Amino acid sequence: MRVMERTFREQLFFLVLCLSVLKGDSRYIENNEITKDELYSFFNSELKREIPEELMYRRPLRCLDMVAVEGQFTFTAERPQLSCAAFFMAEPNEVISVDYDSVDIDCIGGDFITVFDGWVMKGEKFPSTHDHPLPLFERYVDYCDSGSLRKSVRSSQNVAMVFFRIHSAGSSFTLTVRKHTNPFPCNVMSQSPEGSYTMVIPQQHRNCSFSIIYPVEISISEFSLGHYNHLPKRSMPGCAESGDFVQLLGGNGIDTSKLLPITDLCIAFTGPTHMKIGCDNTVVRMVSSGKFVNRVSFSYRLLDSQELQTIKLNNVEDFCFNN
Amino acid sequence: MKLNVLLWLAALLGAVLPRSADSRPAAAPADRCLLPRLLLLHLGQELSLRMGGGSAAPVLLSSSSSAVKWALLQLTRRLLQARAEQQQDEEEEAGEKGKRSDEPPISLDLTFHLLREVLEMARAEQIAQQADSNRMIMDTFGK
Repeated sequence: MRVMERTFREQLFFLVLCLSVLKGDSRYIENNEITKDELYSFFNSELKREIPEELMYRRPLRCLDMVAVEGQFTFTAERPQLSCAAFFMAEPNEVISVDYDSVDIDCIGGDFITVFDGWVMKGEKFPSTHDHPLPLFERYVDYCDSGSLRKSVRSSQNVAMVFFRIHSAGSSFTLTVRKHTNPFPCNVMSQSPEGSYTMVIPQQHRNCSFSIIYPVEISISEFSLGHYNHLPKRSMPGCAESGDFVQLLGGNGIDTSKLLPITDLCIAFTGPTHMKIGCDNTVVRMVSSGKFVNRVSFSYRLLDSQELQTIKLNNVEDFCFNN
Repeated sequence: MKLNVLLWLAALLGAVLPRSADSRPAAAPADRCLLPRLLLLHLGQELSLRMGGGSAAPVLLSSSSSAVKWALLQLTRRLLQARAEQQQDEEEEAGEKGKRSDEPPISLDLTFHLLREVLEMARAEQIAQQADSNRMIMDTFGK
């Protein structure tokens, strides 16, 4: 009798379970339509970043232009334009890709479209030739030389630019600008005169620069070179013999190798260090031997006109005010 | 005997010439090989004329061996000259490539003031575009 009751109870529970499943109380997996191929989507993060055609930002490109957004930019020559340039800029942790679309220029007639990996101003380049991974001639990519072979050019840092010359009215071209995440940014051009940034070089033998094209006050809040117990023994003042140090540079150009050093930091410390630099370009540059993980955190704000005037009057070394 | 040597040498040179031409652009081998081949043809004609001399051939061959040697020397000289010119052309091309890389790069004379102005415009455009994008997203979620 008891065995029969137990068996009946088990059968009853089983029946109730089947009914609840059929009723649909169990969860079901929704089809996430954001990614097209669910199986391989996590291998390729680029899929998720593709902008739909209808949402692509479009506008005409000007002869002198600065572009900080993704989108398609079309230049149409209304008259001969012999000296044009467009600067591209992204966030510090992004790189830029420029794709050629619908190019209608006369290469044989002297037209050109050249993408440069970095910025060039008055013959000076950012990043400098010392800090960039590519040799100089590889940083210029000319459409007329390599257009059919290389339709997409990707920068090594968050800035790039394009030079172009069009002789005939009616010639045109379209550039598609996209931004991609850079997990290990090195050379960075700041978009704004105020902000904060942490530069990390993880055991790489390279030099990285953070450039601010404004006169700013810099506050370095944290600075560490390798192991916190490592204190390099120095036989002479300055950081010249240390393989890992941070430089503060200032000047009136964008080439960091031509700026003048304001100070060097090669002993780790915590606690803010403030410095007002009244130059057109202020650069925090980290030199890394590759033996350690080096890190520097800093913030910066724009100097107002009164502070600039005070610096100009008080500063004995007025190398930034000669021009 | 000397005829055999000559024929073997001509065959060897004929085999060498196409090999050296393979490394050159397509248009050049035709020009480069023309002179030696003309000489070879001339030598062949000379030989056939000499051979057609009949019994006087051996005497003529022996007396013409110096002419054949001179022709061979000329052929060798021309081949060496062609190779030297080829090497010179290659060096010039490499020099031109080096010059292209050494050419002053394209640049723009822009002041920092103007650069900051266009940067401000670009940042304003970025903020406006981000606002439009946010508005579109909010409208989509609100439906």
